[in-house]
Amino acid sequence: MFACIYGRNLSKSNQSAPVGSETKASPLVDLAFTFSPLVEETTADTVVFDVSGQDLLFGSPGPVSETNEIESARNIASEIYRRGKELCLEINVAIAADADVAIHTARSFAGITVVGSGEELSKLGSLPIKAIDFSLVAIEAKRAEEIQETLALWGTGTFGELAELPLAGVAERLGQEGVRLQKLAQGKTDRRLNLVRPPIGFEQSLELEHHITELEPLSFILSRLLNQLCANLNEYALATNELRLRFVTEGCSEYRLQSGVSVASKDPTKVGTLNTSPHERTITLPVPMRNPKTLLRLLLFEIEREPPPAPIMSVAITAEPVKPRGAQSGLFVPMAPEPEKLEVTLARLAKLVGAENVGSPEILDTHRPDAFRMKRFRLDQKTRRNMSKGSRIALNADETHQFTAIGFRMFRPAWRAEVQTKHGKPIRIDARSSQVSASVRGQIVCAAGPWRASGEWWRSDVWARDEWDVAVINPASQKDEVLCRIYRDLTSEQWFMAGIYD
Amino acid sequence: MNAAVTKKQIELSLADRFGHIFEGYERLPAETISTGISTIDNALHGFPRGAITEIHGQSSSGRTSLMLSVLAAATSREETCALVDCNDTFDLSSAANAGVDFNRLLWVRCGHRLERAFKAVDLILHGGGFGSVTVNLCDVAPKIVRRVISTWWFRFRRAIENTPTALIVLTPVNAVRSCAVLALEVKNEASVWPSTLSLVSENSYSGFTVETEQRSHLSLIKSSVRTDSPQTHSHFLRAMNIRVNRERPVHWQPAEIKFQATSCSGL
Repeated sequence: MFACIYGRNLSKSNQSAPVGSETKASPLVDLAFTFSPLVEETTADTVVFDVSGQDLLFGSPGPVSETNEIESARNIASEIYRRGKELCLEINVAIAADADVAIHTARSFAGITVVGSGEELSKLGSLPIKAIDFSLVAIEAKRAEEIQETLALWGTGTFGELAELPLAGVAERLGQEGVRLQKLAQGKTDRRLNLVRPPIGFEQSLELEHHITELEPLSFILSRLLNQLCANLNEYALATNELRLRFVTEGCSEYRLQSGVSVASKDPTKVGTLNTSPHERTITLPVPMRNPKTLLRLLLFEIEREPPPAPIMSVAITAEPVKPRGAQSGLFVPMAPEPEKLEVTLARLAKLVGAENVGSPEILDTHRPDAFRMKRFRLDQKTRRNMSKGSRIALNADETHQFTAIGFRMFRPAWRAEVQTKHGKPIRIDARSSQVSASVRGQIVCAAGPWRASGEWWRSDVWARDEWDVAVINPASQKDEVLCRIYRDLTSEQWFMAGIYD
Repeated sequence: MNAAVTKKQIELSLADRFGHIFEGYERLPAETISTGISTIDNALHGFPRGAITEIHGQSSSGRTSLMLSVLAAATSREETCALVDCNDTFDLSSAANAGVDFNRLLWVRCGHRLERAFKAVDLILHGGGFGSVTVNLCDVAPKIVRRVISTWWFRFRRAIENTPTALIVLTPVNAVRSCAVLALEVKNEASVWPSTLSLVSENSYSGFTVETEQRSHLSLIKSSVRTDSPQTHSHFLRAMNIRVNRERPVHWQPAEIKFQATSCSGL
């Protein structure tokens, strides 16, 4: 048994939206999904769906009989009509044993119409041929006009007249299209619904009876949700590269923990207000994953790093579905850590030393000494090296010996130094570290400089310095020298040790 | 060192009666990684994978130059490398000058905390998949490095056994001891300074070499300027002549390898 909903006020407004487009779902489809998962969106204003078995919910009690079936169908149609009214929809509802009969009936008769089994022709017989939907039997618009003209020449103006034409004559003159059209008029088509796939929502949530205050019980909840989420992703052959974790904490404030490095919009003024997101973060994964254990570890690391402010009342996890990555790599692809393991390792390292201390360095485009920033460590096998010729190391063994750069160890922060000068040249130094118990002191036996450098005079932290490369001999051990880079800060007139050549 | 030499002598004396039964213990692993320095690669066949290599020496001995060369060679082969920097002294300008590809380098700054450094190394080694993992303990005081309990080194050795990861440890003194398959001591034999800019004091010292060729200041600067990165330093120090002594594995005649590290490729 099929039910059809025809929206009277939707025909004009939704004409522009094609059927099955990825835009907002039609309210008729939403209404139909509340009754059945088997829904076909025939046109923008027509929805037909299978209501077989709904009589158990809405049907009248009693033995199975034709009268009871009609009564059950009427109850179902009334319920559909009532819910449509609640949604402020002006609809016609028709129920019939055939989907196409239901469609034609709903389009032609206002209100609720129930077509019993065997009553199709009597109900549709009076309808004009113009009301027939040629697309239901896969006839193109141009061919449909030709057939309509032919039928008009024959004097066939209604469904009933078309249904009574001899089958052989129709087949001889109009071919298979005519036969299909006649069956449509008779209400004897037998086709399957072109189903609308319900929107895929990769979200799992759980309302908790008892509030959670500790991480361990929360991990079990998260594990359960992630297992289901990853199973759903696996079912659709998808993975995720973005996870959003949302808690509702005690006090009815929604607390969204979206962890990661991509976004961090924190507004403490909104904390505690309803439907606000005081912390907006997202776990952005470098590669698509669907391993629940890996995702659970990453979530737990993030929660540990930024715990929710109050006991948790409900948990929801949303995954952004993407295509999974290709598992097979090339034979000659260089060795690299597994992405899942690497993510867990990076999360653990971030927990150990801080997220700002783990990653790939990037030199900033400035002349300021030691200007760099840390960026997230990512592995992209497709990325090839884009190194300049000067910095490229040749793989050929004959070329490797050509250039080995002098290493330098940069002290962060620079060591404060006391330097004695003679005729403007440094002759003795005593530098100490403020972080560790280390020092460099002694006589300067060789000095080269100064190299004056300055920059960013337009900023408050303007820098200007005179740099020297010096060799320091410790008076205690005359054999070993230390090669240092020292500088005199021209703004503060103080000496510092930038680092050691090594 | 003396104990190791004595052990070698005993082994050689027993070799006449029992054959070379002790050689297997000190045989280098088959797989090695190139250091990017041809003299070292020819003498040592590179650094061993699945084992610990220790590079130790005093300040300005050339440990970092050797480390940068290894990192540059590894990243040029598109291997993934990790650098655990205990005292946060990794200089990006010199690394870029050496040719290190930062996109393939995981840099972990441990903020002068030795314990953090060891834990970070442990996490990275157990994560697996890295071509080389370098631990920079150069600026840790020698007495503190010596106090590191041996279980850490045994744990690291066990973690990288039968893996293609090379663990390189830079220390001020010999600290890894028997856990290191390859132990190298580096020393700066001489430094090369430009004659036109070096201002040598009255103290004469044989450890320095002054270039005899006369170059103008401008020509030096021109050769030093790199086109791909902004110049942040003068590069007065022209070169370091570095000597590498192989301490482990012990051979009857310890190998000495020499190479030169220069301030820029154009010199």
